[in-house]
Amino acid sequence: MLKFIIKKLLMMIPMLFLISIIVYFALNMTGIDPINFMVSPEVLSANKENVDALRESLGLNDPLIVQYFRWLGNCLHGDFGYSFDGSSIASIVAERLPYTFELAGYSLVLSAVIGIGIGIISAIRQNGIIDYIGRVLAVFGQAVPQFLVGIILIQIFAIRLGWFPSGNRISPDATSPIADAFFHLFLPVLTLTIGMVAVLMRYARNTMLDVLNSDYIKTARSKGIPEWKVYLKHGFRNAMKPVLVILVFRIPMLVGGSVVIETVFSYPGIGLTMTNAITSMDYPVVLITTLIIAAAMLICSFMVDVLNALLDPRVRLGE
Amino acid sequence: MKKISKFAALLLAMILLVSSLAGCGGGKDKKPADSGKQPEATTTASDGALKLAITTGDGSSTDDKIPTPWYNRQMATNLMFRSLLKADSTLSKTEADLAEVTVSEDGMAYTVTLKDGLKWSDGEALTVDDVIFSIETAQKTAQINSIYTAAFANIAEMKADGNVLTISMKTPYAAMMNILSQFAILPKHSLEKADPLSLDSDPFWQNPVCSGMYCLDELKKGNYFTLKLNENYEGTAPKIKKITTYFVSDFVTAAQAGNVDYVFGNDAGLVEKLSNMENFTTNEVDVLFYKYFIFNMKGIDGKENEAMQNVEVRKALMKAIDRATLANLYPNATVLNSGVPNENEAYNGFEYKFDAEAAKKELAASGYDMSRKIKICYYNNDQTSIDLINMVVYYLEQMGLTVEATLSNDGTTDLFTTRDYDIGFKGKASFSIDEWYTEYMSTDALFANIFGGGTEFDSLIAELSAATDPAKRNEVLKQLQDLEQKNVYKVPAFTVGTYVFTSNNVKIPEGVTFCNPLYSCDLDFENWELAK
Amino acid sequence: MSKNGSAVSIKEQNKSAASSLMKKNIRKFMNNKLALLGLIVIVIMTIACIAGAVAGVDYNTPNPTVLKQAPGNGHLFGTDTIGRDLLARVLYGGCYSIFIGVFCSVLSSVIGAILGAIAGYFGGKTDAFIIRISEIFQAFPQLVLVMMLVALMNKRGLGNLLFIFVITGWMTTFRMVRNEFMSLKSETYVKVCEAFGMSKNSIMFKQILPNVMSPIIVSTTTNVAFFILQEAALSFIGLGVADSTPTWGNILNAAKSISVVTDQWWIWLFPGLAISLFVLAINFFGDGLRDVLDPKQQ
Repeated sequence: MLKFIIKKLLMMIPMLFLISIIVYFALNMTGIDPINFMVSPEVLSANKENVDALRESLGLNDPLIVQYFRWLGNCLHGDFGYSFDGSSIASIVAERLPYTFELAGYSLVLSAVIGIGIGIISAIRQNGIIDYIGRVLAVFGQAVPQFLVGIILIQIFAIRLGWFPSGNRISPDATSPIADAFFHLFLPVLTLTIGMVAVLMRYARNTMLDVLNSDYIKTARSKGIPEWKVYLKHGFRNAMKPVLVILVFRIPMLVGGSVVIETVFSYPGIGLTMTNAITSMDYPVVLITTLIIAAAMLICSFMVDVLNALLDPRVRLGE
Repeated sequence: MKKISKFAALLLAMILLVSSLAGCGGGKDKKPADSGKQPEATTTASDGALKLAITTGDGSSTDDKIPTPWYNRQMATNLMFRSLLKADSTLSKTEADLAEVTVSEDGMAYTVTLKDGLKWSDGEALTVDDVIFSIETAQKTAQINSIYTAAFANIAEMKADGNVLTISMKTPYAAMMNILSQFAILPKHSLEKADPLSLDSDPFWQNPVCSGMYCLDELKKGNYFTLKLNENYEGTAPKIKKITTYFVSDFVTAAQAGNVDYVFGNDAGLVEKLSNMENFTTNEVDVLFYKYFIFNMKGIDGKENEAMQNVEVRKALMKAIDRATLANLYPNATVLNSGVPNENEAYNGFEYKFDAEAAKKELAASGYDMSRKIKICYYNNDQTSIDLINMVVYYLEQMGLTVEATLSNDGTTDLFTTRDYDIGFKGKASFSIDEWYTEYMSTDALFANIFGGGTEFDSLIAELSAATDPAKRNEVLKQLQDLEQKNVYKVPAFTVGTYVFTSNNVKIPEGVTFCNPLYSCDLDFENWELAK
Repeated sequence: MSKNGSAVSIKEQNKSAASSLMKKNIRKFMNNKLALLGLIVIVIMTIACIAGAVAGVDYNTPNPTVLKQAPGNGHLFGTDTIGRDLLARVLYGGCYSIFIGVFCSVLSSVIGAILGAIAGYFGGKTDAFIIRISEIFQAFPQLVLVMMLVALMNKRGLGNLLFIFVITGWMTTFRMVRNEFMSLKSETYVKVCEAFGMSKNSIMFKQILPNVMSPIIVSTTTNVAFFILQEAALSFIGLGVADSTPTWGNILNAAKSISVVTDQWWIWLFPGLAISLFVLAINFFGDGLRDVLDPKQQ
C-alpha cells in the first residue's frame, strides 16, 4: 500500500512538469506580445529605446525555452515572478488562495454532509416523501444556472432583506472576524452548495440503491442482521466508493463554479484573480493560478486512487 | 399515498422553481409605481464613514491598490491628491490650490508660485521639486491620460527659484491652465526610485503619501480601503472624518446594498435603477462623453485595410445606421455629426442622414464585395453597449452584408494593436472638444495606428490648441469639421448624458455642482456632512 | 437475475426474448410518471424549438418602438432590451443550447466509455497511459482552455465551444467506466468468456459494457444539463459563443444588468425557465431510464 502511494506521488512530478510546459508554451503561442500589456502604446511609440530596454530587462527577447526554464527555476525557489502590473505573484497567491480555500472548503463539507445524507435516506426510504422532495430539490438545484442563483440570492438576502453583504470578504467595521467571515461567506457558500448538493444527492441515492439491491445485502438481511447494521456496515461502506469518486471529481466543478461565483460576489479569491488575469492576458498570473489548480486537481486524482484502493481490494494495487 | 406524494413533490418543485426565479424580479414589477421605495438601502443610516466605491468590473482598476490619479481622477483619489489649481464644475475656470499660476501675455511662460508651508502627509515639505518631478515623470510613464502628455509635450523648459517655478513653452497651449487643474502632483521623495514606466504599479500605491484632505488609513486588498484625515493638510479640515472605499464589481448592487453614497455612470440600466431609488439624489452632469465609430484604415507600418479605403463605402455604411434610434437606448443621448455638438455655435451644419435605401445603392455603386464579412469590434460590456452593437449588426445585415461583432476584453490592444476589424465602436469622456480632434494628429500614439499617421489634420489642430480668441477658434473648428467629414475616419454617434447619484446618507452643501466624474473639480467637500 | 448479469452469450438471445424485454422495459418506463413527463417535456421543447427555427421565426429584428415590453400584446414572452421578440429568441436559442448539450454529452460519454473500457480492461501500461492523459485534461481548468482556444483561434465560435466541452468533458465517464471495468474483469463471467476464446472487443463492449450502462446513462444525462448550464456560465463571464448567436445562455446574459433582473423579469425569466425546465426534464428522464436499464433492478 505504501509503495502504491509513493509510486502515485512520484508520478505527479512529471505530470506537473508536463502541464507547466503545455500551459507556458500554449500561452506563448497565442501570439500576444506581453509588452503591449505592460506599456501603453503612447509610450511605445514615443520612446522606442526605453521600450527595447524594458523588453530586454524583462527577458522577452530570449528564446522561449530559455524563458521557460528561467521561470521554472525561479518557481522552484519560491519566486513566482511578477504579474504584468507589478505585483508579486507569490503574494497575490498568498493573499487570495486562502479566501478561495475557505469558500470551496466550506461548500464541499456542507454539500457532502447534506447531499450524501439526504441521498442515503432517500435510497433507504425509496419513494417516500423525503425521497421525492430530495430528488426534486436535487434536480431543482441542478437546473438553475449557478450565477443566476447567486444573483437571486443577492437580490433577496443582501438587497431586499439586508441580512448579508452583497460582496467582498472583509468589512471595515466588523465586530469580530468570525462573524465577519460568516456574513460574507454565507451567500457564496450557499450558492455553491446548492449546485453541489444536487449532484451528490443523485449519486449517493443511485449508488446506495444499487448496493441495497445487490445480492450480498439481500444475503445479509436474510441472515437476520438488524436493518440499521445492514445499512451502515454493508450498504454505506460499499456505496461510498463511487460517491467519493464523484465528490472528489466535483472539486474542479467547485473551482470552476467559484470562478463564476467569485465574479458575482466580487469575492477576492484566486478565481476572481484568474478571471481578471485572463481578461487582461496577464500570462504569469494565469500560469501560476493554472498550475496551482492543476496541482490541486492532481492531488485529488491521487486521493481517488488511494481511496479506491482502500475501499475496493479488487482494484489491483501497483498494476 | 404514493401518487399523492409524487404529485405533491412535483408541485412543490414547480412552485419553488417559479417562485424563486420570479422571487426578486416579478414581485416588484407588478407595482412599478412604488418600485423606487423597495430597494431602500438596508444598512443603518451611517456608521461614521462616507462610502465610496471603485469598480473593478470594467478592468480599468484593480482591487489591490489605490488607482493612480494620472489616469482617471475619481472621488477617492481626488481627496488624496491635489493639483496646482482647482477647477470649477465646467472644468474651464481655475483658481489657486497648491499654487498660484499666472500666464504671460503671449502664452509662452507660466509662473507657478507654490503656497508656503505645504507638507505631504508624511511630514516632508511639498516643494517645486515635486512639481518638476511630476511633470517630467508624466511624460515617461505608461498609464496616463493623454491630455497631460499632449499638453506637457509643448513645454520647453522648467526653472525653479525658491518656491517659484517658471515653465516656458515651445508653443502656446490654450488649455494649459485647465490641464494643471487636473494634473495631480506626486511626491518625489517616495517615487524618485520607482520605474517611471510602470509607475502606476509601484508599491507606493499600497501605502501612498498624500497632499489632499485625506490619506490612506488601511488597505484590505480585494475588499476596501479607508481614508483618514491628513494631519498635514493646511486647509480647512473636512467635517467627514472617515471614508471607506469598497472595491465592487457593480455599482448598482453596491448602491442597493447601501455600500456606496456616491455613484456615477451613463448606461441605461444604472441610470434607470439609481434614479428610481428614493434614497439617492440624481444630478445630471454636463459632460462631453462621445460614443463613436472608428474605421480601421491603415497602420503606421503602411498596411492598409483595403476594403475600407474607399470613402464611399464608409459613407454608405454610416448612412445605413440610424443613429437617432441608437441614441434612444441611452437615458439621455444627443446625436451629433462632428466633434462639435449641434447646438454649439462652431457647428458647421453638416448631417449624417439615415437612409437605408440610398445606402444600399451607394454601397453597390462603390463596388464593395458583398460576400466579404464586415467585422465590428467593441469593448464596453454593459448591456446597453451590447444592445447598441446588436442593433448596428442588424442595420448592416439589412444592407445584405454579413457582419461579425466581437466584444473585446482589452479594447486598447484590439482596436490599436491587433486591428482585426473594420468598424470599431468607442467611448470617450472628453475633457474638451479639442481632445476629440487631437485624436486625428499624426503623432497620436493610439489613432496613428489605425489612421496611418497622416499629417492632414496637424496644422489645423496646432492652430486650435494655440487659439485663444473665440472667433478664431470657431473658425478653426469649422475647418476641422469639414475635413473630418470629408475623410470619414471617425463618425460620432452621439454624446451621452452622465449622471452622479448621491445617497441621503450624505448632506451636500447648497450650490455644489458636480463635474465630469472622471475629472476633478471643487465640490466644497470640506462642508459635506454625514446625515445622522 | 436474468441473462444480463450471467455468462450467457449474446448469441443465445433470440429475437422474441429481446422484443419481450423491450416491451417490458417500455411498460416499466411508462409506469414511471416523472420519467414519462420528462420525456414529454423534452420532446415538446425540442419539437417546438426546431419547428420555430424551421418556420423561420424572426428572432433578430429589433423594434425600437417596443423596447422592454412586458409579455402580451402580440409578444407572448415580451420583448428584450432592443425590442426583439423573446419567444422567437427562446425558441431559436433552444436549438443551439439543446444541440450543444446533447452533442457534447453524447460525444464525451462515447469517448469516455471507450477509453474507460480499454484502460480498465487491459490495465497495465495502457491504463497508466490513458490515466495520465485524462489527468492532464482534468488538471486544466476549463476556463483556461476556453481562453487559450479563443486566443489561438481569435474568435468565440460555436465550434470552439463544442470542441472544448467534448475534450474537457469525458474524464468523469472515463473514470467511472474504468473503475467498474477493473472490478468487473475479475468476475467469473468474464473469465468464462475469455476461456471460450471470445474476442477482446466483444468481451469489452458486448459483455462488460452493458453492465456499466447505468452509470454511463446517468452521467450522460447529467452532462447534458451540465453543458447547457456551463454554456450559460461561460456566456456570463464573457467567454461563451458570440453574442449574435442566440443561445439560451446568451439570452440569459441580460441578467447581468441589475435593472433587468429587478424590473424586466421576463427578459431573463423565460430563458432561465427554458434552461431549468429542460434540465429538469432531462434529469427526470435520465433517472427513469436508469431504473429501466439497470439489470440489478429487474
